[in-house]
Amino acid sequence: MSSVELRKVDKHYGSYHALKTVDLKIEKGEFVVMVGPSGCGKSTLLKTIAGLEAINSGQIVINGRDVTREEPGDRGIAMVFQSYALYPHMTVAENMGFGLRMAKRPRTEIEAAVKRAARILRLEEQLDKRPKQLSGGQRQRVAIGRAITRSPEVFLFDEPLSNLDAALRTQMRVELSGLHAQLGSTMIYVTHDQVEAMTMADRIVILNKGRIEQVGSPLELYANPANIFVAGFLGAPRMNFIEAKAVSVEESAVSVAAAGLPALSFGGIDVGGFSAGDTLTIGIRPEALHVEPSNRAMPVFSSRVRLVEQLGRETVLYVDASPLQATNSDSGTGNFTLQLNKVSAIGVGATLQVGFEIGDAYLFGPDGRTLTPRKPVAST
Amino acid sequence: MSRLWRRNRHWVTPALFLLPGLILFGTVILAASIETVWISLHDWDGIGAKAWVGLANYVELVDDPQFYVSLKNNVIWLLIFMLAPPIGLALALIVNQRIRGMRFLKSLFFVPLVLATVTVGVVFGWVYDPNFGLLQLVFSAFGATAPALLSDETFVTFAVAAAALWPQIAFCMILFLAGLNSLNDDLIAAGRVDGARGWRMLRHVVLPQLSQVGFIAIAVTVIGALRSFDMIAVMTSGGPYGSSTVLAYQMYQESIFSYRFGYGAAIATVLFVIMIVFIAWYLNGLIKAERSNV
Repeated sequence: MSSVELRKVDKHYGSYHALKTVDLKIEKGEFVVMVGPSGCGKSTLLKTIAGLEAINSGQIVINGRDVTREEPGDRGIAMVFQSYALYPHMTVAENMGFGLRMAKRPRTEIEAAVKRAARILRLEEQLDKRPKQLSGGQRQRVAIGRAITRSPEVFLFDEPLSNLDAALRTQMRVELSGLHAQLGSTMIYVTHDQVEAMTMADRIVILNKGRIEQVGSPLELYANPANIFVAGFLGAPRMNFIEAKAVSVEESAVSVAAAGLPALSFGGIDVGGFSAGDTLTIGIRPEALHVEPSNRAMPVFSSRVRLVEQLGRETVLYVDASPLQATNSDSGTGNFTLQLNKVSAIGVGATLQVGFEIGDAYLFGPDGRTLTPRKPVAST
Repeated sequence: MSRLWRRNRHWVTPALFLLPGLILFGTVILAASIETVWISLHDWDGIGAKAWVGLANYVELVDDPQFYVSLKNNVIWLLIFMLAPPIGLALALIVNQRIRGMRFLKSLFFVPLVLATVTVGVVFGWVYDPNFGLLQLVFSAFGATAPALLSDETFVTFAVAAAALWPQIAFCMILFLAGLNSLNDDLIAAGRVDGARGWRMLRHVVLPQLSQVGFIAIAVTVIGALRSFDMIAVMTSGGPYGSSTVLAYQMYQESIFSYRFGYGAAIATVLFVIMIVFIAWYLNGLIKAERSNV
């Protein structure tokens, strides 16, 4: 169990700036998930922590020790790769014991460690098999077992579940969370899957273009995204965005207008950094949109249903609300996404009145920063 | 037309693609091999009528001292050639390092592959020349006289095989370089995380991934050693007194110079049988490797 600290970590590949002055402190025993779109630098960041990639400047400190110049094998880390990276010519037991063998530990100790890991991961029957005789899920467990036997200070996971099918992924997600609870080790986990991030993390680190956008607990990030990128990245279906003009800016209040929407007035706004006439963005989560609201005070717009997705307990509607224009990468430009927490009889082509609470909406500034005040975080 | 084509294209297309290869293989390899075995049962000068002699050519071969010289020389070639895979691997590991100027060095190592074997033979003939050769220069630097390697019955086969080893090493090096380029990066990374480095990384993580390539390198080298011919033709013509012949060269001599095509064919058949043993081993290994990869 160890803390991990990144101090002003910078990484270039030629002219490409992969990591831009990344600062991050991970506490002992924490499960931190790094998430972001492809190319955001999350895997690179993990590899720099592992020591597989050298950094151009900055410092990496594990458990108070500067390991920036140390070889991966000396850093006290273990890593689980997306491709599993099992040694094909070794048995499961040899794969799991290889790290200890390289550390020249006595055979009895290696055997004990391998047995213990195999018991935790239910691999006792597979110890004499080769990786290619195993299923994808078993290989994944061997890769995790190889990490466990080294009893590392920090576990690093590089998209470990992305090669598994959906059912197995859910199962392994639960197992990994259980493993973290059992071992209590520090774990750093990279994924592009926000469900993995939301379900497993103590804290989520959101990366974009080599920079940390925001760090926080899953529910905190969901309720209070620091900017439009985090708001759009977390949440499925994604948040709806509406371009709007700032009509008047007063002290801590702004009134905005968008074609097809009544004038809206937001309070408690940080009004520095923009002025009347600037383009702002309104953000509304799909589940914050209400169909045919009974509350007459709600801002309302009318729309036509273009597609209905029944998910069993929820219904997702994709609606065209022109002249009101939404940008939503899930439903395509011009469309809104609505999520109803019930089975709905609404069909394609239906005309709906859609409304929302002004308190549920977010307002983002011209630079993408969140302007609306903090929202309460759902308590667990 | 189009319906006929649609109904049959699933086999017509592959058949058309296979046909040229099959015809070539059938005539040049299969028919020629069978013909050779057939000729080996005859007494034939290559022009006139063939006279059936049964196994007489083989009986003669068993009593021919030259046959045993050739056989022994083939074994020497084989043993010397076995140096090519390990040296080629070592060179590949060195040349594969990311060091400035390595690319230039790498291309230098490719040179013997580009050269015709005949050229290599001639060049080494000069190197070995006891009067003005490179070897003589080296010996005279120590105040010694260079041995006339190519006219010495004891050394001649070693000298010729050593010359032939040069391009063979380059060939093995290229095979291993290709293998090193297709190493699994994640496995190397996993090895580094597991604390393997230097020799132990090579031994436990890198070499096992090269086993397939290594197997091919060894097999190709064995076959190359057994079919050695051109270097001997260029450098010694089998001399002195037939002491550097190998089976392939003896076959050529008997057939072309002595007009004994039947006897030459018998030697060829024996060589073929020896080769078959290695080829069977090679194919067996390939099939096994492919099966274990599934």
